[in-house]
Amino acid sequence: MSAVLALLSSFILCAIAPLEIAGRLITEIYNWFISFLWSLPGWLWRFFWFNFKPFMQILIIPGLAFILVFAIIVVWFERKFLARAMLRVGPYYCGKRSGWLQLFADFLKLFLKEIVIPYDAQRAFFTVMPVLLPTIPALAVVLIPFDRGWVLFNAGSLGLPLFIAIAGLAPLIPIFSGWASNNKYAFIGSFRTAYLYISAEIPLVMCAAAVAIMAGSFDLVEIVEAQRALWYAIPQFVGFIIFFLGLIIEAERTPFDIPVAEVELVFGWRTEFTGILFGFTMMAEYVGFLAWSLLFITLYLGGFNGPVLFGSPLYSHIFWLILKLAVLVPIVIIIRCIFPRLRMDQMLRLGWYYLTPLAVLNLFIVMALKLWGLA
Amino acid sequence: MSEPEIKPDIMRISWGPQHPMSGQTRILLDVDGEIVHRLIADLGFTHRGIEKILENRTFMKGIIPIERMVMVDTANIGLGYVLAIEEALGVEVPERANWIRSMICEMARINSHLYAFGLQAEATGYFPAVFLWTTVDREVLLDLFERLTGARWSYNFFLPGGVNADLPEGFQDKVIEGIQYLRGRFAQYWDAMVENAIFEMRCEGVAVLTREDALRLGATGPVLRGSGVDMDVRRDEPYAAYGDLNFKVITETAGDSMARLKVRFHEIGQSLDMIEQVANEVPGGPVRTRAPLFARAKPGEALSRVETARGELGIHMFTDGGMNPYRVKINSPTLRNMYVFERLAELDEVLIADVPVVINSIDPWYLDSDR
Repeated sequence: MSAVLALLSSFILCAIAPLEIAGRLITEIYNWFISFLWSLPGWLWRFFWFNFKPFMQILIIPGLAFILVFAIIVVWFERKFLARAMLRVGPYYCGKRSGWLQLFADFLKLFLKEIVIPYDAQRAFFTVMPVLLPTIPALAVVLIPFDRGWVLFNAGSLGLPLFIAIAGLAPLIPIFSGWASNNKYAFIGSFRTAYLYISAEIPLVMCAAAVAIMAGSFDLVEIVEAQRALWYAIPQFVGFIIFFLGLIIEAERTPFDIPVAEVELVFGWRTEFTGILFGFTMMAEYVGFLAWSLLFITLYLGGFNGPVLFGSPLYSHIFWLILKLAVLVPIVIIIRCIFPRLRMDQMLRLGWYYLTPLAVLNLFIVMALKLWGLA
Repeated sequence: MSEPEIKPDIMRISWGPQHPMSGQTRILLDVDGEIVHRLIADLGFTHRGIEKILENRTFMKGIIPIERMVMVDTANIGLGYVLAIEEALGVEVPERANWIRSMICEMARINSHLYAFGLQAEATGYFPAVFLWTTVDREVLLDLFERLTGARWSYNFFLPGGVNADLPEGFQDKVIEGIQYLRGRFAQYWDAMVENAIFEMRCEGVAVLTREDALRLGATGPVLRGSGVDMDVRRDEPYAAYGDLNFKVITETAGDSMARLKVRFHEIGQSLDMIEQVANEVPGGPVRTRAPLFARAKPGEALSRVETARGELGIHMFTDGGMNPYRVKINSPTLRNMYVFERLAELDEVLIADVPVVINSIDPWYLDSDR
């Protein structure tokens, strides 16, 4: 009988104990969850506070917001300004006569459009490449110093080589996407891209090397600090001009927009892209423009250097860099309505006969100056 | 069109009719990398049977469809047909009407050449600024046309026996005002296009057509004169008032795309002078002798030649005694120049980037070649 009772009681215990344990567990979890909810704002705030700088750098400057706002403002300016050159008024009805809402409308249109993938295209490459396209120049932007301490990724003495290495990946994508499109125009356009970048990047890298020699460092921050007294645009005027042309070539802007020449190759390697894929290629154009403009300013126009304003070196440095950008970008845009497009062979001749020897000359001048201790 | 065979290691690109720079035709390019080995023009996309339409219209009604051949140059085309009718019907034209005809023809020539400049600028990759400038400046001429004829594009102003109406009050002053404005603007075009370094690089020495080849292949208009052949129907066989007007036939010896453009530039200067001369010196008198509306021509042939903006237009009209022409054969300038265009890749090295420049140096109007 006792055995039966023991069995019964143990059975009851076994049945009840888990319930009790579960109940306590649930209570514990509930309590923990409630306390977690109560402390969540504090945690978030602490997380944000301890990581304030990275947050600001990723989201505001030089991160997402800066790149997007730059692209929007430049596209708006280009449309309105070039419309004036063409005796038009440009976007007019969306957004109070300045037409700024037109850009968002166009983006929405691109976003909602059907993506047409051509027959026999390499689907994976065709869809992935345009998405990669704005990423690469945006990746290069993280290396640009906005202040001595305000660099999203401070690569130290690898800064300049890393920038060129990352930005040098960009021409691969037009080549792949031109091949993936299964279109003759896109194919020709992709090969034009390859020729263009090869003839432009060698003088560019040589000019960058000359700057590094003069500053005595590959660190972009050090290069900017070395220009505190004198911008490198003055001692290296030849390199300044070459880099300016190289910037236009890298951004594929008008005298050198050979790969996307509309009247020759429909739209070059972008011919088959539709909808948001085309939108990505358009955005990439401006992000690349931004990345190379920032490098140009960093190497030749004193980077973030400038008199301290607002009582804060950080804000004034960011202000000066953006101001220099705001002066440089319209100059590059104005060139678009002054010159027709160069032909491929003329472009190659410019790159190999003129820019490359001049870049070598620039390099030797800088080395001589360094040797004699003049710079 | 059955497509010719492709040589090995050559890629064939179909350039048009949806291409941004092709117009209403298709050009087949056989390319090896960037070098174009062969150009094949596939015409006929806009064939409307204008020659057949003219057979089914009375002489007067035929003026309307034939002007649709070249919309920017309707006056010259229409004049060619009207001259053929006058020869067939034996109608005399008063002096004043001839002068007015010449003025309208020269204005239409400027209109057409403006369009050619705009497209040539566009073809070299100019941002469309120059194209839109030409479009805006054209308004000056279009307003004058509207004031005179009531229409901006297709005037139907020339009739057998003269022109539809006399010059309105104060028209000459408006013309001279417009000419002075255009002279200033053309100086700017010269700076923006011919003097522009990159534009020069793109156009000079591209698709050279020698004098011998131009004559052998039957080029006409600015293409022929750009190769140094001194030939212009307006001077060689004067029609309208060209016998009395002072003008030079412009020739350039280089024979490249830039030479053809320069011929058009200087021709515009001559046209402006001629318009000014007409506005100042137009004789008085009636503007029209009454020709019967439904006339029957005697059986026979009539031939007229006029110099349109694109070259020589020939109209060969056969009549059989009815109220309609029996057959009208139109020898259109664009078709003749397209034969030249097809041979240009064999005569001189042409790259893919040159193709829009070359095609627009011909200044084609495919509705003209397809008729």
